[in-house]
Amino acid sequence: MEFLQTCIDGLLFGSAYSLLALSFSLLFGVMKRINLAFGSTLLLSAVFSLWIDSLFSIGIFGIFFLMIASSALINIYVEKLCFYPHSGKYGATVSMISSFAIWMQLDEMSSFLLPDRTASFPSFLPDSFFLKDLFIRIDQLFLFLIAVFMTSIFFYVLYKTNYGLLLRGVSFDGELAKKLGVNSGKISSFAFAFSGIFGAIAAFLILSTESQVTPFFGFWCTLKGLVAMMLGGIGSLPGAIIGGLFLGLVESNVINYLGAEYRDICTYLILLFILVVKPGGIMGSALLRDERAASERI
Amino acid sequence: MLEVNGLVTSYGLIKALRNVSLQAEKGKLTCILGPNGAGKSTLLFTIAGILKSDMGSIKFLNKELSKIKTSEIVKEGLVLVPENRLVFPHLSVSENLLAGAYSRFGKKNEVEEDLESMYKRFPILKERYLQEAGTLSGGEQQMLAVARALMARPKLLLMDEPSVGLAPKIVNTIFEIIKTLSDEGISIVLVEQNAVKASAIADHIYLLDQGEITFSGTPDQIEDNDIIKRAYLGDISES
Repeated sequence: MEFLQTCIDGLLFGSAYSLLALSFSLLFGVMKRINLAFGSTLLLSAVFSLWIDSLFSIGIFGIFFLMIASSALINIYVEKLCFYPHSGKYGATVSMISSFAIWMQLDEMSSFLLPDRTASFPSFLPDSFFLKDLFIRIDQLFLFLIAVFMTSIFFYVLYKTNYGLLLRGVSFDGELAKKLGVNSGKISSFAFAFSGIFGAIAAFLILSTESQVTPFFGFWCTLKGLVAMMLGGIGSLPGAIIGGLFLGLVESNVINYLGAEYRDICTYLILLFILVVKPGGIMGSALLRDERAASERI
Repeated sequence: MLEVNGLVTSYGLIKALRNVSLQAEKGKLTCILGPNGAGKSTLLFTIAGILKSDMGSIKFLNKELSKIKTSEIVKEGLVLVPENRLVFPHLSVSENLLAGAYSRFGKKNEVEEDLESMYKRFPILKERYLQEAGTLSGGEQQMLAVARALMARPKLLLMDEPSVGLAPKIVNTIFEIIKTLSDEGISIVLVEQNAVKASAIADHIYLLDQGEITFSGTPDQIEDNDIIKRAYLGDISES
């Protein structure tokens, strides 16, 4: 029963990791843009929304929507500054390094807005209930439902809409898309805004269940998002979901059986193990194989 | 229809096009022949707005194109079929076709209609419409690239060496497709190295060498011009 309890806790919280990993995967895997400033973007959007809340008390829903909007805008700012000017052959490296610089800038802005280092984050529905013997927090259940809902929206946009189609086209071959006259700058901004929105929702859900925000949250997001994404396999969107859930499961069980201090050690050990045994991640090797097969034909 | 005047395009210090002027008429197949490195692809890229010219003008239906972006140029009806049958390898065949119609995404019914007509024209694409484009054979990919360009409802099609790297039998098929398109009244500017095949279907031929137009005339006029014939085409009667 105890194991079942930790697994449920892990899956519920892991769904937020999944959402986070999806938004990372969209940029890192699908668009092949290494945006190191992404975690800081999420932190800044949270801190900024809290700051506005302290001035105008916009309430928890206000914070939610303001986080989404500001995160999308900050992400577009990062894209215009670091990624848009460097789309060429060596652009990937240059833009990654410049995003590193923006990371510092965004973090400084966050600590400027967060002078007390830590601020409490409003939680929604802090109730809980028992399902037979299982203890379930309502906010975590909500987190799970919202994560599932947002994930379906994510896939719908990417695979069923014209923008998603162009986005996948641009990410596979930006030069070709340009030759066809696709405005790849616009598509790229759309991708950044889109991933900002999903990252912000994930960040909001995580922050409100933890009910506080610290200056390390940005870096924490980057690590968790990257680890979940790598566990699942870079470039594979279902992999990101699986990786996130898996990460949640591992963490909650480790915390329960070994203690909280072992959480990160175990996470990285498992990541190391998976990267050694299956270098492409859980879902990634099949993807790598397909990709190679497809490009060999051309 | 398309009027290029005094076009100069350079890569850094190297002038790839020096003072190129040519015209393509409505409903005609204009062919640009030339050896490797003559500037053929550069010329098409400049017309399509992918490269910017240093000097000269490109007029399409009396509209100046040399200063506007590729996305705008596609909307004007000038569409490029890039070299090496470039398709999006990980998108399915139908998604590749849809991507070609992106400038008309608002008109869903029209796009659906066009999709059906492409499947009618190229039945093999219908058979494989869910397959990833990267798994198609070379000839099928070239058909897909052509069909994708047609999805944009072009007024003028720019084709960059559609026969390169394909088996001889497939090359014949591709040229038949080009001929059919031309017979249907679609204006085409075709860039080719395969001079024999191209001159057999072309209405007007330009020879491009080291960035300059060295000959302009009908295929018959090339026949009559021994020097050019020997330099560029080899002996047609032998092949």
